Amino acid sequence: MSGYQSGLLVILCFNVIAAYAVYLPLAAGQLNLGVAGFMAVGAYGAAILTNEMGWPLVAAVPAGGLAAGLVALVVAVPILRTQGIYLALATFALGQVIAAIFLNLDIVGGAAGYPVAAYAGPGGVYALTGAVVAAVFLLSRTRFALYLTAIKSDPVVTDLMGIDVRGMQVAALTLGAVIAGLGGGLYGHHFSFVEAQHFNVALSIYTVLYVLLGGVQTVWGPLVGAVFFTVLPEVLRVGGGWRYVLFALLIIGFMALRPQGIVTAGSWRRRSPAPARVPASLPEAAE
Amino acid sequence: MIAQQLVNGLMLGAVYVLVAVSFTLTIGILNFLNFSIPGLFMAGGMVSFVLLRAGLHWSLAILGAVAAAVVVALAVERLSYRLSRAREAEVPLVSSLGFLVLLENLALVTVGSDQQAFPPLVPDFNLRLGGLVIGGAQLVSLVAALALVAGMSLVLTRTSLGRQIRSIAENRETAVILGIDVGRLVPCVFALSAAFTALGGVLFALNYLQVSPFMGEGVGFKGVAAMILGGMGSVWGAVAGGLLIGLTEVLSIGYLGADVVNVTVYGLLLAVLILRPQGLFGRPPAREKL
Amino acid sequence: MTTPALALDSLSQSFGGLQVLTDLSLSVPAGRATALIGPNGAGKTTVFNVVSGVYAPTAGRVLLHGRDITAMPSRRRIRHGLARSFQNVRLMDHLSVVENLIVGQHATTRGLSDLLTPFRLWPEHRWRRQAVDALAEVGLSAHADAAVGALPYGIRKRIDLVRATLAGASLLMLDEPAAGLNPTEMNALRDHLALLRRRGVTLLVVEHDMRFVGEVCDWVVALDFGQKITEGPLAEVQRDERVRAAYLGQAA
Repeated sequence: MSGYQSGLLVILCFNVIAAYAVYLPLAAGQLNLGVAGFMAVGAYGAAILTNEMGWPLVAAVPAGGLAAGLVALVVAVPILRTQGIYLALATFALGQVIAAIFLNLDIVGGAAGYPVAAYAGPGGVYALTGAVVAAVFLLSRTRFALYLTAIKSDPVVTDLMGIDVRGMQVAALTLGAVIAGLGGGLYGHHFSFVEAQHFNVALSIYTVLYVLLGGVQTVWGPLVGAVFFTVLPEVLRVGGGWRYVLFALLIIGFMALRPQGIVTAGSWRRRSPAPARVPASLPEAAE
Repeated sequence: MIAQQLVNGLMLGAVYVLVAVSFTLTIGILNFLNFSIPGLFMAGGMVSFVLLRAGLHWSLAILGAVAAAVVVALAVERLSYRLSRAREAEVPLVSSLGFLVLLENLALVTVGSDQQAFPPLVPDFNLRLGGLVIGGAQLVSLVAALALVAGMSLVLTRTSLGRQIRSIAENRETAVILGIDVGRLVPCVFALSAAFTALGGVLFALNYLQVSPFMGEGVGFKGVAAMILGGMGSVWGAVAGGLLIGLTEVLSIGYLGADVVNVTVYGLLLAVLILRPQGLFGRPPAREKL
Repeated sequence: MTTPALALDSLSQSFGGLQVLTDLSLSVPAGRATALIGPNGAGKTTVFNVVSGVYAPTAGRVLLHGRDITAMPSRRRIRHGLARSFQNVRLMDHLSVVENLIVGQHATTRGLSDLLTPFRLWPEHRWRRQAVDALAEVGLSAHADAAVGALPYGIRKRIDLVRATLAGASLLMLDEPAAGLNPTEMNALRDHLALLRRRGVTLLVVEHDMRFVGEVCDWVVALDFGQKITEGPLAEVQRDERVRAAYLGQAA
């Protein structure tokens, strides 16, 4: 594998991790527009632990993930009182605040950035990515994942089924933040440098963009979206300076033609014997 | 000193007001968070810059910029907003984001990533009131912004078009039953919102005498903050929110340093979202009916 | 006298200035099928919403098997045997039929380990089997893996009913179960409800189709303007002057 290829693969891995961080709450219909903030908490948290406290990498990165989860937990409870677009904007504001705080924190170098001494090679990045994908896949086979989709469909009925809607939402947002924090922690140690400017709004928003591009109906959508998003600009290099223009046109066109994302529940179901389709005998009855 | 800061804050806030009003129109009336607005803002400044450079009169340049933004906004309506019926509620938002990426990169290939110097259109005079110094361009911006918002408010409350638009905001189904042609009104809302955004971009360029492909992001996102602060869907709320964000920004730069602006501005937004999600002037969200 | 399955004690509900229920008391005897009738706007659906906890009443109490549940959070009520269906079927569109039913089983599961078991790794896991069996019992197993949105209205209504019963409800509230059904679907619904009654499930039914009410329910409570105007067997209630006036008033 050439340096270019392994470099691209590492970037793909970080994109996949971020994608699953966004996917978990999105499965319950909660848009997290501040995932970069949680990644920043993980990145700085883990870097401080290895740099200043002498922690080993294998302990510092998970601790960074937990720190991000803790931040999410503290803010999730009040934030989740708000719904829909308010929640999206609250996470957006939170991401901005977190990045801005690190930008002004002198003990981690402020705007100049924070060099990280301990190094995590590509192998570590692949391992963590594999672990995250496996964990989210297992999670997608549980009642918890089913309840998240139920909440997205109809929170009132889900509540009447006896499910703690608020608790599930807090858990999804927090678990997503833990994943983001793990990714951030490893990011700093792989590139040996953390700078707050990297964890900006664009990173948060692009992540949401490719998760939806992949589709959120199945657990594989975010993976496909991340691959698409990482590889496509490389393919479009032939377009020279116009490549991001082409990329944007592809996003717009794709969303217009296939708003459900690349991977849908149907694309898996079609492989099993299709249930008999009964023609609808009645339209939706009026009240 | 503090009086001067307040004046500067209000002047900066005037730009946020226009962007916040644009956001509040699409979100308050159509429940659509239109992420292409920062791109339209940039397009306002950038297109007028390019047209001025080509030798056009300033009035034609501004008109051209507004027209370009309106055309793009109509495309956003057609290609992004109409996806609202998709199963995932977030799809239109992502698609409108695609337009932001598109506009920024179109500007990038046209003029490059550097800041471009915008010609001073307003004569460089300073108004001195007591100890206060008010720049000519600043004054023009504030007056123009407030006049535009007042005009918009008049349109919304006094004309039949405005009443129809407000009835969609109130209850879309009822509006349809009352025979209001929603399909025709929605593009009007987009065009109106785009015109406001583009003019905001022009005023920003006038004030700071520079344009760049990414000038829309910072201002656009603060416009969102201003809209929430004032209360989603409320035009005068957007005005108050915009001025408040401008003041917060200028005061934090003056007393705490330029780097903490995002902490104070977005911290304020976060606090409002948690403590009073309906904003300072908005109505509390209605409970879902079964 | 035995404790009724459900008792409303001087219940009042108002929204803003609008009084929807006024000092309403009624009881639903256990093991029976009771109908709640009345013209549109009489407050029938509001009764369901207050009992299921979607609204908190302005005054009065709700007693489930003698236990005061007025202040109980809505999500806890299903564990005390209360389940309901909706006027417009509210199945979760993002889930398949069987997945909807598995969500409906929630109240029978316990704790974090049930929540986090990756049970869908096993195609024949007991939760899935229970859900498919419940469908088979009422002749709907062919639709187990169908997408909810693709199914005819009558089928969806009955799947809603299966879902409501999976948690082992002892009191089932049905909001216009017969509305929009064709005669074949209506027969299937009657058989379905008969099966539930044989199991001892108490039914409280809001319904406009009086023939259906007569066939399914053995007691009728009539409401108008949020107040009880009379109750008794259907034939008696239908003869009542006040009931006739209420319906005529609506027609006028």
